[in-house]
Amino acid sequence: MSKLIGEPIKVHRKEDSLITAFIWRKRLYRVNEVIGWWREPSEWWNGKAIRLFVRVNASNSSKGTYELYKLGESWFLSRILD
Amino acid sequence: MGFIHLHVHSQYSFLDGASSLDKLLEKVKALEMPALALTDHNRLTGAIRFYEKAKALGIKPIVGVEISLEDNYHLTLLCKNKKGYSNLCRLLTEAHLANRGRQPVATGEMLSKFNAGLIALSGCSRGKLPSLIEKGRVEQAKEAARFYREIYGSDFFVELIRYPSREGMSSSHQLASFAEEEGIPIVATNNVHYAEMEEYRVKELLNAIDLNIPVSQLPSCRTVEQYLKSSQEMSKLFRDLPEAITMTEEIASRCSLELETGKLHFPRFDTPRGENDCSYLSKIARAGALRKYSSLTPKIGNRLEYELDIISRLGFCGYFLVVGDIVRWAREHGIRCQARGSSVDSLVVYALDISNVDPIEHDLLFERFMHPLRYEPPDIDLDIDRRRRDEVRDYIYQKYGAENVACVGTINTYMARGAIRDVGKALQIPQELIGEACKGIHYLSASQLLEYADSYPELKKSDIYKRPELAKFFKMCAAIDGFPKHMSVHLGGLLIGDGRLSDLVPLEWSSGGDIISQYDKNDIEKLGIVKMDILALPTLTVIEDTLSNIKKARDIDIDLDRIDRNDPESFAMLCDGKSIGTFQLESPAQREMAGRLLPNRFEDIIVSISLVRPGPLKSNMDKLYLPRRHGKEPVTYLHPRLKNALGETLGVILYQEQVLKVAHDLAGMSYAGADGFRRAMTHDRTQEEMEKMRGFFISSAVGGGVDRALASKVFEQLASFAAYGFCEAHAAAYAVIAYQTLWLKCHYPAEFFAAVLSNQPMGYYPPRVLIADAKRFGVKILPLDINYSTDHYTVENGAIRVSLRQLKGMSKEVMESILSERANGKFTSLRDFVLRTNTSQPIVENLLKVNAFDSLDDRSELLSQLPELMKLKRIVGRGARAFFEDERLEPGIIKEAVRSDVKTKMLIERELLSLDLSAHPLDFLPFDNGFTRMKDLPSVATGKTVRIAGSVIRYQTPPTRNGNRVVYVIMEDGTGIADVTVFANVQEKCGQVLFREGWLVVDGKIQRRGPKALSIIAENLSPLNTTN
Repeated sequence: MSKLIGEPIKVHRKEDSLITAFIWRKRLYRVNEVIGWWREPSEWWNGKAIRLFVRVNASNSSKGTYELYKLGESWFLSRILD
Repeated sequence: MGFIHLHVHSQYSFLDGASSLDKLLEKVKALEMPALALTDHNRLTGAIRFYEKAKALGIKPIVGVEISLEDNYHLTLLCKNKKGYSNLCRLLTEAHLANRGRQPVATGEMLSKFNAGLIALSGCSRGKLPSLIEKGRVEQAKEAARFYREIYGSDFFVELIRYPSREGMSSSHQLASFAEEEGIPIVATNNVHYAEMEEYRVKELLNAIDLNIPVSQLPSCRTVEQYLKSSQEMSKLFRDLPEAITMTEEIASRCSLELETGKLHFPRFDTPRGENDCSYLSKIARAGALRKYSSLTPKIGNRLEYELDIISRLGFCGYFLVVGDIVRWAREHGIRCQARGSSVDSLVVYALDISNVDPIEHDLLFERFMHPLRYEPPDIDLDIDRRRRDEVRDYIYQKYGAENVACVGTINTYMARGAIRDVGKALQIPQELIGEACKGIHYLSASQLLEYADSYPELKKSDIYKRPELAKFFKMCAAIDGFPKHMSVHLGGLLIGDGRLSDLVPLEWSSGGDIISQYDKNDIEKLGIVKMDILALPTLTVIEDTLSNIKKARDIDIDLDRIDRNDPESFAMLCDGKSIGTFQLESPAQREMAGRLLPNRFEDIIVSISLVRPGPLKSNMDKLYLPRRHGKEPVTYLHPRLKNALGETLGVILYQEQVLKVAHDLAGMSYAGADGFRRAMTHDRTQEEMEKMRGFFISSAVGGGVDRALASKVFEQLASFAAYGFCEAHAAAYAVIAYQTLWLKCHYPAEFFAAVLSNQPMGYYPPRVLIADAKRFGVKILPLDINYSTDHYTVENGAIRVSLRQLKGMSKEVMESILSERANGKFTSLRDFVLRTNTSQPIVENLLKVNAFDSLDDRSELLSQLPELMKLKRIVGRGARAFFEDERLEPGIIKEAVRSDVKTKMLIERELLSLDLSAHPLDFLPFDNGFTRMKDLPSVATGKTVRIAGSVIRYQTPPTRNGNRVVYVIMEDGTGIADVTVFANVQEKCGQVLFREGWLVVDGKIQRRGPKALSIIAENLSPLNTTN
């Protein structure tokens, strides 16, 4: 099960691009593990760009699995996985 | 860790690969990969050029395919060696030929039969193993693996492809475990479909075009990962299985295919017992020469021996015998055929009756065709009567065996219009926008469309190419510019192998049912397979039909080999520009040249054919030659020794053969060496190479006593000419046919026009223009009639009867039904016609509308039945021109037609016959407001401004010397033809009209470039409408 979100987030990255944390709804989520990444094709005929997805285990008050994606230079929280 | 891509699709995976070979190879070079495999879907079409390009870049080429199997599975195959290549060709051939009209399928039996020398990878997600494992059918997967291992042994590998996705890469892990359990080595690939990631859009676009769906409806399993990844990226993806990466190098090292590109493959000819190819060729060539010349003078005898010696030394005797045999068979069966091109330079070709141009009489040089320093396939092209070309082809199949013969394939690629239509459909661009975007395009590629949108007036005037919302659409059109779409049959190319052809070339079906090579003619040549051009020439059919018409109408047998070659009447007609319908002499440029040259002998036609070419015109050969021809300038030679070479053309270089003669006579080069010199100057060469040639030519000439400055001047002339000159032998061969058509038109116009009209489409002009011309020759045109018209135009008492074929909607079956029934007796009434033939109501309706029942005895019955028929049918009025919009055909028009209203009849004839029989549309335009009819143009003074109106026959944009585009518009108004020249300033002013309008009003000045060469220099163009 997963919950679709689709909201903008701020991402903290190390110099080697590894995501270390993200801020969603003013709360900080620390990334414990990057589980995987992939790129998804877009509706390019509608002017949309390829989206880069990253799935991470992160923790705030509790632990969870989150799917983030990058579109252009902006990051979004795609969904939260149970 | 080194990685090599072993599964790669290029644009030759028609409508699936999104990158050109150049792009893929450039990327591989940039990634410093030592090798690359090409594995297009079910074809090797790109393989030869890939092989050559890769070698040139220092990249090892690995030739392969991704082949389709039963149950729609895929398998990747790579050639280890020549045996593997040959087996792959045969496997592809069988997979294609066993599935005519369907997708190719290689059966297990075929894989087993053609396994040697091939490496197999289990394929992409559509491979049998990955598919079965994905579905959990492990036992079946094991069975399939055993089958592949039996066939390919240690050359079978499980192919692992990893595209990171939301679902992860579990299928790859499952497949790797399976391989480990089964003990099958693994190899990593990326099933590459494009060089760069962003090109996935092009791939998706192509897929949508292929599936005939909008891109938005593409299946959900989309990916952006099929790009040419670096070793680092691939190693990262397979960091848990490094052996899958290293295996790519191992497999690449097993592949060492060296294609033989230097060896020529000639068909084998069965000579009589006791003869070999060369002895037999000598025998029949000598006999042929004796027949032609009655006695062999030393000049002829020496020339014959010289040619035979060279042909023999080059090993081409069998080839000449094969071509000679084809021509012999054709002639024996009454099929008109003859050679074209440089082969006409050869006396052996003439002696074997392959050509009917005497090279001794015309002083043609054999070395232009063949010499010992030029080891490349000989090229004897044959023109054959179009109607009977397939009989000749069938004879070749029967004689040399179906396995050894195939047609040459040709690759059809995207130009601007096709790209706009297909991309527009895939991107769901509204039809009217697609139509508008296609409108102004005239011979442009999609890339040129963007390039010239701001400079070509006809593009500039339309805002469609500049609309921001369509910018991406046009960019995508340009992205598939030049991409292959499908293969079809090359117009004349036929391959005859020296054994089974499919050992060397993969073959497939064309959509028309011919077996064609997967390689185009250039790649065929690189492989050394001798190609023969057996070309269908409609003019030969016209000649044959004209002779037959003359025989039927006048009971006269004409031998065209014996007609007067300098007939004054024929040449007078040519000088007057009345050459419409003739071969090679009917174009506006040729008609204008006739008005300038004023030809009066056969050799003038050779000159005219050679001069009216982009090259000679661009280099002003006409301006040098014509004043000398008319005695207005003296005939001079830069050096007395040039008189021998240039005497026939009054000191001007007109033919390629003359380059050889000049180099021979002035610089002492051998003819063979001189031909090398000519060819070197013809092809792209560096400044350094040019200087080397200059130095060699000048020093050789100076060594022979020629002044250095003069030698330098001659060299400059040769250099500027060599790239453009025309082959005299080819021009002479064409001049023979051209003159025959001219003579036939002049003396038997009805028979000639009937033949030309029966063989449409051909030539420059549509039937209505030919009909108008025939009328100007005093030939009466009889209307279509169900009791007299046949499936072709016929001659009746000196008049031409319109063919049934000319009627809109007429099919071959209906025509046959009418003709076979009429053989039992003429039709007596409409009822009789309807009852006895299988003619549909629309066809009967069309026949009624063009008064095809007029000859019936009982017209009252016809008329009384007419209203009943009319109730059933709707009269269509599409196609009436803009200025007749208010008079579109409506129900009731038949009554009008029967009442013989001329204007109505004219409209019906235009609509249903595409002819102007009763009248011309412009007959109804008031010409009292300053218009000049085209028939009156010759009497208008040079420089005077005229206004003409007419329909556009065609637009032309030939290359020009300075590169500025000039548009030529050929128009007609029913009284004659006018040639209009539109320069850049007028193109700019009238861009919205150019290429878009079918009817024009032209204001312009009369120009004469010769005594009878008239054209109009346009000052303004506007669409023709009723207000003009």
